[in-house]
Order: sequence, then structure tokens, then C-alpha cells
Amino acid sequence: MKKTLIISLVTLILAGLFTGCGSKTDSEAGGDKTLNIFVWTEYVPDSVIQKFEDETGIQVNVSTYSSNEDMLAKVKSETEGAYDIVQPSDYMVQQMIAQGMCEELDKTKLTNITNMNEAYLNLSYDPGNVYSIPYLGGAGAIAVNTDVIKDDITSYADLFDPKYADSLVVLDDFRAVIGMAAKSLGYSMNETDPTKLAEIKARTLELKNNIKLYDSDSPKSALISGDCTLAYCWSAEIALAMEENPAIKIVYPSEGAYLFLDNWVVPKGAKNYDAAMQFINFMMEAETAQMVGEEFPYLNPNAAGVALLGEDFSSNIAKNPPAEVLQKGEFVENIDSDSLAAYDEIWTELKQ
Amino acid sequence: MGSKRHNIRSNILPKVFMVGPITLWLGFLIVIPLLYVLVMSFCGTDEYYNIVYKFTLENYKRLFAFNYLEIYAQSLLIAFFTTVICILLGYPFAYLITRKFTRKKAILYMMVIIPFWTNSLIRIYGWRTFLGATGFLNNLLMDLHLVTKPVEFLFNRGTTILGMVYCLFPFMVIPLYSAIEKLDQNLLEASADLGAKGRNTFFKVILPLTISGVFAGSIMVFIPCLGYFFVSDILGGGNADVIGNLIKRQFQSGNDWPLGSALSIILILITLLLVRIYQKLGGSMESLGM
Amino acid sequence: MNRKTKRKFTDFISVLFCGGIYAFLFLPIVVIVINSFNATTSKPYLTWKGFTFEWYVKLFSNETLLDSFRTTITIALVSMIISVIVGTIAAVGMYKYKFRGKNIIDGLLYIPVVIPEIVLGISMLTLFAKASIPRGMLTLILAHATFSIPFVVFNVRARLADYDNSIEEASLDLGANRIKTFINITVPVLAPGIGGGALMAFTLSIDDVIISYFTNGQVKTFPLKVMESIKSGVSPDINALSTLILLGTALIVFLTQSGIFRKNK
Repeated sequence: MKKTLIISLVTLILAGLFTGCGSKTDSEAGGDKTLNIFVWTEYVPDSVIQKFEDETGIQVNVSTYSSNEDMLAKVKSETEGAYDIVQPSDYMVQQMIAQGMCEELDKTKLTNITNMNEAYLNLSYDPGNVYSIPYLGGAGAIAVNTDVIKDDITSYADLFDPKYADSLVVLDDFRAVIGMAAKSLGYSMNETDPTKLAEIKARTLELKNNIKLYDSDSPKSALISGDCTLAYCWSAEIALAMEENPAIKIVYPSEGAYLFLDNWVVPKGAKNYDAAMQFINFMMEAETAQMVGEEFPYLNPNAAGVALLGEDFSSNIAKNPPAEVLQKGEFVENIDSDSLAAYDEIWTELKQ
Repeated sequence: MGSKRHNIRSNILPKVFMVGPITLWLGFLIVIPLLYVLVMSFCGTDEYYNIVYKFTLENYKRLFAFNYLEIYAQSLLIAFFTTVICILLGYPFAYLITRKFTRKKAILYMMVIIPFWTNSLIRIYGWRTFLGATGFLNNLLMDLHLVTKPVEFLFNRGTTILGMVYCLFPFMVIPLYSAIEKLDQNLLEASADLGAKGRNTFFKVILPLTISGVFAGSIMVFIPCLGYFFVSDILGGGNADVIGNLIKRQFQSGNDWPLGSALSIILILITLLLVRIYQKLGGSMESLGM
Repeated sequence: MNRKTKRKFTDFISVLFCGGIYAFLFLPIVVIVINSFNATTSKPYLTWKGFTFEWYVKLFSNETLLDSFRTTITIALVSMIISVIVGTIAAVGMYKYKFRGKNIIDGLLYIPVVIPEIVLGISMLTLFAKASIPRGMLTLILAHATFSIPFVVFNVRARLADYDNSIEEASLDLGANRIKTFINITVPVLAPGIGGGALMAFTLSIDDVIISYFTNGQVKTFPLKVMESIKSGVSPDINALSTLILLGTALIVFLTQSGIFRKNK
């Protein structure tokens, strides 16, 4: 028996070496021939990466994450400069700046910035865009499978109805979910008042029975497969689910939606700074923005790109959240560590 | 004769050369990291998630709060059911293979191991595909008109236990196979000669002699089960978190290494307790090393 | 019911039961193999859209996937070699010599075997982070060797239990130095134990998820690549690769098994 297994071993090794014909070299620092990017799952199309690699000859190594806190944890635990590019959301950019974790962007290299919609530049979390350039944004909206659910759902509060037991997929993100519960009560997503927090806690736990699945990577999968008939997730995921199954409908909550805007940031000590600048500039090209928008239809701050995407994109409310949604909605902001601990406790209790 | 000369030869150099590397290895990669985890479990974090090196019992206090205790209970329950199911399925299986289908036992044994040459993650994903709302099983049930809408198999504790049993089944079978194979046929014959019927022989002779296999298998199933976060992630969907998930979260989005360390220490203590019980019941450490 | 019928009945139940267990074990594998022929092209690749071989072709142009497989094999091989060397000389050394702390090392060896992998994973992550060792191939190899070494030691030790020292003594008497004796006499005798340990090390390494998850940095091993794909939907080329690996190993096993039987006759 041992002989058998040893022979299998040898064959497996040979198989591995065979596929090794034409293996690429390990990525190492220096020469800016490589670029290490750390981005959200389902956010940067492979075709775009491929195009960048073909045009510049720089090899891109992609790692992914599905929450800002995951990204922060990984960047902090790695040695400095392990990643050249990351994609924090609004509040996380602020956190990173405060901790001195970002490199200043060399604006002279970022010539395509003229393509960007002014409304999304110079925001409060990074005045003057010293450290960040916006990429994509959107809302945490509701998706309803109208084949199964015939009721009229219009708000976050509707999701708490006990008749939707075991049918909801939500983001695996404590600020998003707890914030949503807060909004359903009419409070802010960034509430810190302890009495209100107690109410928010009770409210969040009410949702427990309805939640079937936590998924920040690809919530549309559960919608498309039918495992979940309701969702609270990123707007573009809903847009994509709608294309696969026209019975799925998007609803922007009446309380005002959870809004987010993700940005390109270069972490301090990045080994391939020049390549990173090239990459960000490339991502701001109108054509690139168009390719991105076609695969991941999020709110796109690139005005030139949006123009190329046409009516189909701009008039689709799931792909391009309407102005009222953006005005009524709320962004996540940083809160003090005691409140943060309280949020964490709520989250642990919810998830078990 | 000549051996006396060799005994006088210095033994220090070979000793250091042979045992040195492993000592250094174990020291640097097991002892020091675990000690560091212990130290960290008594530290705190600041608002930017950086570790603050000041002694505090805060982490342990938090971990003995009610919501965490519920998760330990859930973990232990999942591990308990997984172990019991593995025993109930594994024992008869190992017994039949070793004693009934003896001639083919080598191949039959290999057939248990072969699936594990495929990546375990993708096999668990295979279960997810099979049990999903539009998966094969539901499609079959609907086609046969046994149900009118898809049964919700996924994303609960039951399916997580199924996944755990699936992953850990060989760890029960291997020691059981070992123990049952060593059964001396003569003892069984003696028992029959003395007039014991099948059932008596089983409970009074076979079971006591093979119980060591059951214990070893139980430890090798129960303990990993507490840490197998990927099974709960893929099949449980976040609803059947085990202690491993908690720990993983603290090293990721939770950004709280000290809390994660404290959780790990608690997990280590549970492990040590179980191993102690195992030893008291007569289990030997060698059979755990396979 | 007479005895013969009862016997036939229990035989039938036994076959049914064992068959059921095998069905259980192989079910997801059947799912994986079937899905590798799925003509679906869009995430999450769950609905059946027809039969095709194209994913087996697409597999060979998926560089990142093939890379991850190569990486996994490399790590498995290197960590196996390291653990075999360190483990074998340690097992022999501990068998031959008495020294203080032998019991401690013995006990420490059980830690990677018994402790849940996640604890090992995070503790090594903590060490690497504190020592500013960048996570990557190096840390993966170190981590994999760490959980493999005890299995090598145990396997070699089992072989040493029946070891006859006199051949070694004879060799030394005849003038061979210790190193030569070790390589030419001791190792061949211990070979089955070393082989068993090496096999264990390799097997554990290629399927390792939990420990690799914390010590990999940006390196993608095959299990980690699968984990990543599970998040957005496993494309059938991964199924194709898994099917190929399975076919390959199963084929070898069955061929050599029947080969062994033929030899014994």
C-alpha cells in the first residue's frame, strides 16, 4: 500500500512540474515590473487587469477582501509595503490617513483626473484628494424576488417582518447591518448614544430569524440560485442579479440608504509606487471606466466613463442610483472605540 | 568487544546535531509563538486597533459574557454531534470492512482515503451545490412532486454537522480500523466456545478491546471540529459559527488580536482538558499520532 | 427464519450500509466531476447549461490557477523534505541518546498534532508579524514543515521500535564513521517509516487550508485559490483540475494495487 501511495506521489509531482512549463517568476520588489493590488471581491474586472498588463508589461498580483476591516487587518499584519494598492471606503480612508498609513499621490502622474465628476472629488474624508482617488460607489439597497414575495417592500423596516423568516441574505459587514437596523428606527448609522444603542441592539437581533446567509463576496449568488428571496446588499450586485432573473427588483429604502464610495489608496511603503501611479491613472481612463461599468455596474464617479456607458447605464436605477437616493442616504463614519466595541458585541450576538 | 571503545566516544556532538534542529524548530515555531499568544491575550487595543502592551483581564471578561458562552455551547454541541455520528457510522463501517469483507479490506480502506486526495474545500462546495435551492437534490424532489418549493437544506447547523462529519469521517475510521484489525481471532473463538452469543461477545469482548480506537477517533474528530471554520462558512452561512470562526474574525475584520489570542487560549485549554480525559480513560498518545 | 436466510439478510444489510457510506463519501465528488462539464459561462456557475469539454481546455490557459497548483506542489515538496530530514535525525537521536528535556520535546511534538490548526495558524502569524518576516513562500514552507515534522518523527519511531542496533555496531567496528553508518545502514532500514512520514507530510500539505490561510501573505496555494473562488462562484475549470487530479491518483492506486497482487502470486 505504501508503494502505491509513493508512486502516486511521484506522479503528482511530475504532473505539477509538467504544468510548470512556462512558469512565471515569483513577484519580487524592484524594477516596478510587478504590482500587488488588494481589492474588493467582484470589483475589478479580470479584463481590465489583463489590459493593463498587456499595455504596460507590469504583472499584477490580485488579492481580494470583502470588508474594509478585513483589508485593514491584513495590511496592518503584513510587513510595510506588502501591497501597492488598496481600496478603502470613505470612512476607512479617513482611518488610514489618521494612522499615517497612506502615501501621498503624485498628481502629476494622474493626468486622467480630468475625467472624474467633480461632485465626487474633494470630499470630507480626504480634502484635496491628497491620498485617494474615488473608484466606484453605490448604495446598500434591498432586492426582492417578486416571483416569491408579492408584498410591496419599500423600507429597511419591512425586512424585519417575521413572515420573511429565513429568507434574507445580508452583507457580512457589521457597520452595514447594524447601521441598517439603526436607520429602520430612524436613527443615524453612526449612532453613539448608549440608550439609542440599546434600542438598536434589540432591533438588530430582531433580524436574526430572517437572515439566512451572510455574504459580502457575492450576495447575488444566493438571489440567483433562489436560496434567498430577499437581500440587503450592494446595488450593483442587485443589478447583476436582475439581469439573470428579471423577477428580481431593486428597492431603495424610504429611510434613506447606506451609501459608500470606494477609493484607490497607496499604502505607506509601497514597493512599486510608480506602477501604482500608472495603474490609478489607467483606471481613470474613460475606456477603462466603461469596461468596469459594464461588468460591475456601480455608481461611477468617472464622468467620461459614464458618458461612454450610455443611456442603458444612466437610466438603470440599480446601476446608477438616482440623485434623490444619494441625497437622502448616509455614509458610514468613524466612531469612538467604546461605541465600536458595543457594535462588535451586537454583531457577535447576532451571528451565533 | 569493540563496542566498549565506541561508548567512551563523545556523544555530545551527535546529540546536538541530531536533536538540535528539532529543538530549535519546536522552540521557535511552537513554543515562542504560543507564549506570545498567551502574553497578547492579556493585552488591549486602542481605537486604531493597535496592540497596547498593558496587562488587562478585559479580554477574558468579555469572553465569559453570555453571548460568547452561547457560541462555545454551540461549538461543543456541533462537535459532540459530529463525533457521535462519526462513531455510529464509523464503527460498524470499520468493523464490516475489517472483519466481514476481510479479503478486500485493503482496497476498501483505500476507497475511504481516495476522496481525500481531492481538495476538501471543493468537496464541501460540492455539497453546497448539491443541497442548494436550485441544486440537484431540490430539483429531483420537485420533479418527483415530493415538494412544491425548494427545501432549505443549506445554511443551518444541521448541514454544518453534515459537512463536519464528511470532513472528519476518515479520522474516526483510521484508528478504528487499526484497533479492530488487531483483534485476535482466537479471543473471539474462545468467547464463542465458552457459550457467549453474538451480542454478548460484542459487548463483553470486542467493544472493550476496540474502545481505544473509539476514544482516539473521538479526540481526532472532536478537537479539529471546534476549529474548522471553513465548513461553517460554506455550509452554515454564518449561522453555525464555531470557536474557529470567532478566532478568525478577530484576526480579520475584528482587528482585535488580543481578543483572538484569548479565544485561542480558551480553545487550547478545552483541548488540554479533553486530552486529559482521554488519557484518564486509558487512551494512549501514540495512537493519536497514527 | 433459518440461519442461512438470516446470514444472507445480514450480508445484504452490510453491503447496503457500506455502499451507503461510500455513496456519502463520493457524492460531492460526483457533483464536482459532473459540474466540470457544465457549459455555463456566468457567475455563480450554478445552473446546468449543457455538456462541454471546453473547461478542460480553458483550464490550461488559466495561469493563476495553474500557478497556485504549482505553488502547492512546491511547498509540499520542500516542506516534506525539510520535515523528513529534521524529523528523521531527531527520531534516531531521541531513540539513541538520553538527555535532559527529552520528555519535553516528546510532549511538544504532540502539540501540532492535537491542537486545532487555527491556533497553530494564528500563533505563527503572530510570530511572523512580530519578527517582521514577510508572509509568503518562506512562511508557508516553515508553517507546513512545522505540522509535518511530528508525523515523520512518529512514523520513524514506530520503525525504530523493532530496530536492531547490532548492524550499526558492526559497521562502526569495521571503521565506518558515524555519518556513513547513518546514511548507508540506518536510513535504508528506516526507509518505510521515513516514507510513511513523508507521505503524511505531503498529503497534509497539499490540502492545508487553515494554517495556510494565516501564513500565506499574497501567495495563493491551490486550496486558497479554491477558497477565493468559492466566494464568487467556482468556475468549472477548477472542477476540471480537481477531476484530473482525482483521476490521476485513483488510476495509479488501482494500477499498482493490482500490480502488487500479481507480483505476490
